[in-house]
Amino acid sequence: MASQDVAVRIRDVSHQFGEEGQAHYVRALADTSLDVARGELLCLIGPSGCGKSTLLNVIGGLMTPTAGTVHVGGTPVRGPLPREIAFVFQENALFPWSTVSENVVLGMMFQGVPRAERAERARNALAAVGLADFADHYPGQLSGGMRQRAALARALSLQTGILLMDEPFGALDEQTRMILGEDLSVLLSRTEKTIVFVTHSLGEAVFLADRVAVFSARPGTIKEVISVDEPHPRNPEFVTSEKFHALRNRLYTLLHDEIRKTVSAERGRDNAAAGEGAR
Amino acid sequence: MTPRASRRDRILSRIVQLAFVGGVLALWYLATARWGVSHLLLPNPVRVWDQLKDVLASGEFVPDLRITLTELAVAFAISSISGVTLGYLLSRSQFLIRVFEPLLAGIYSIPIILFLPLYVLFFGLGPASKIALGATISFFPVVLATVAGFGYVERIYVVAARSMGASGFQLFRWVLLPAALPVILTGLRMGFIVALLSILGSETIASLAGLGHRIVHLAEAMETARMFAYIAFAVAIAALLNFVVTLIEARGRR
Amino acid sequence: MTQSVPEAVASKAGAARRAPPRAGLMRVVRRHPAIARLAVIAALLLLWEIAARDWVDPMFLSPPSRVIGSLGAVFRTPGVPAALQITFFELAVAFVISVAIGLALGLLLGLSRFSRASFMPIVLLLYGTPQITILPLFILYFGIGAASKIAFGVSHGIFPIIVIIAAGVQNLKPILLTSARSMGASRWQLFRWVIFPHMIPSFFAGMRLGMTGVLLGVLLAELYVSTAGIGYFTTLFTQNFDPTRLLGLISLLAVMAIVLNEIVRRAEVHFGRWRAE
Repeated sequence: MASQDVAVRIRDVSHQFGEEGQAHYVRALADTSLDVARGELLCLIGPSGCGKSTLLNVIGGLMTPTAGTVHVGGTPVRGPLPREIAFVFQENALFPWSTVSENVVLGMMFQGVPRAERAERARNALAAVGLADFADHYPGQLSGGMRQRAALARALSLQTGILLMDEPFGALDEQTRMILGEDLSVLLSRTEKTIVFVTHSLGEAVFLADRVAVFSARPGTIKEVISVDEPHPRNPEFVTSEKFHALRNRLYTLLHDEIRKTVSAERGRDNAAAGEGAR
Repeated sequence: MTPRASRRDRILSRIVQLAFVGGVLALWYLATARWGVSHLLLPNPVRVWDQLKDVLASGEFVPDLRITLTELAVAFAISSISGVTLGYLLSRSQFLIRVFEPLLAGIYSIPIILFLPLYVLFFGLGPASKIALGATISFFPVVLATVAGFGYVERIYVVAARSMGASGFQLFRWVLLPAALPVILTGLRMGFIVALLSILGSETIASLAGLGHRIVHLAEAMETARMFAYIAFAVAIAALLNFVVTLIEARGRR
Repeated sequence: MTQSVPEAVASKAGAARRAPPRAGLMRVVRRHPAIARLAVIAALLLLWEIAARDWVDPMFLSPPSRVIGSLGAVFRTPGVPAALQITFFELAVAFVISVAIGLALGLLLGLSRFSRASFMPIVLLLYGTPQITILPLFILYFGIGAASKIAFGVSHGIFPIIVIIAAGVQNLKPILLTSARSMGASRWQLFRWVIFPHMIPSFFAGMRLGMTGVLLGVLLAELYVSTAGIGYFTTLFTQNFDPTRLLGLISLLAVMAIVLNEIVRRAEVHFGRWRAE
């Protein structure tokens, strides 16, 4: 890939939590390398605990990896880059004490957007996600789906080149996920953003992504990268197509063994812990 | 339960309540007026009412009330400012929280009023000892609530704000403070109530002035009817202050 | 499992700013905050020692070394051991009476929705009034002896017990009663095997707050007027400007209060174990 086309360059990133021998020692990532092309939507998918969220945080500068480097637009990442990277978290990160539009404005204030521009940008962002009528509501008054829309609006209003989304629809029901996924695809076809999107859902990955990076079980590394060659905005009928099924099946095959490995590793740990407790 | 049955029950409960209160008042009246209980022990309720009217009309209560309220205001000002400040500083480090929080909670669990004689020894019988003890006792609920409020802000909000580039001050002003405020307000309310109770208590036990002292003075002078009037007055003042601070707390929580 | 990602992020961000802690001593202290706590207490005692020796008039404050050294003298002061016993006796009796009355009334209000609707507002009203204002009345009615201290203690102790036990009985999930009844349980069996065990944690929680109330009530009454209890001696030592013995006596009382509180707290933890909270 030509270097101007690379938005994020990840090289040999490894990360561990804690020291070897400690109870909470975990090797989350092992020697992960990847190039994220400018303007693409890349999905990270893998079994629980495979390190995909960790990698996302490393890319965004919220964590320093124990080894390896990440470069965004040529510069190495050493901390949060609020002007280049915006986040949408799975956990609800909207401030419950502020209204939806206040939340969006606060985000811009943190980033350093001049006061005069904030109101207009907030209005546009909320309109883009379909929440224009709920600007003065508090997060507690909204459904889960609407809260995540608001979180997305906040991220969009920051007008960064890169958007990192960590299972943003994870806490929502199937139907809401579908709708939000379709809306996201429409939204993205209008922007030039580079998006890295972590998900558990195979269907979601195939529907949204230009490329899907499949992770192995812990310690996570990228097993394979699959391309989804389909223009944005994705037609809802794409989901019923042969191509979709083929891709989804491929993901399933790749993931199935890794998921099994994760579950038996967890069972082994639980048994060991129970055995120790019984003693 | 059917709506009609529950409505009937509610009315019945209300009747029982009123009957109970009315019965107590009736017993009181009969005991003093008919059954010959000494008016030095239990004054006639009518006389108590007259005494209360007299106290209010003559303004006799003003100097004592002023002293009590001044002591309360100063004590609470001291404890709230120091409590919130220290609480915020402690909350900045999980280690500090783990060291000091059990210590503070432990001290607060004993009746600190026990130290009143020490304060009297040190500050004398005047307002200073009441203020000092009141500030000491009410410091604890304030500092504990402040530590709890600032120290346990959901991590995700801090992370999100940091990811958007919030400075230290912005983080405090727009994330930590609004998140912690409801808890802190509750702590301040509890501190206020506790300050009032401790001041009334220390005025009762060792003082030369103030509402608590006035009640004791009347007891010693065997002016039981007037004492009852002052007790009613003091309870009413306490209830009013309680009501006001609860309202302020509720408003602050939006 | 591992700490959540946001936690890791926040702590990593913090760690990146701090200098790495000195290996050895600092790491041990960080892992055991109790050590730091003891250090803080020691530092405060040291401050007290210096302040009492060098900064403050000995008429008003006594250093801990002297206070501890003269604890013996406090005990030898005629009447003090008896006074401590009397105070302990007052506390014990007041506590037992509070628990007995509080349990009875709490159960009554908890089990009967009607009595609860009728009388709980009155209980809460009384619970919320500043009882210190009627302390002189208690003395008037019960005299200046132990009876008034016990009565004032009971008056402070019963209300939290009633409220907590009533709440504890009340929040029993109806489904538990329903399923027991469906298996044929009699009224007695329902009480003995469903309601009673459910209520035990609330009982101990109520006792804990009841003990706090009793301590407050008895000690307040003692400080107010006392002819043979510890209140007599606190007044005596205060009037004689004897901070050494005053501090000694108050420390003993504080220790007594801590021990009693700790006993009920442990009982609560032990018996409330099945509660997940």
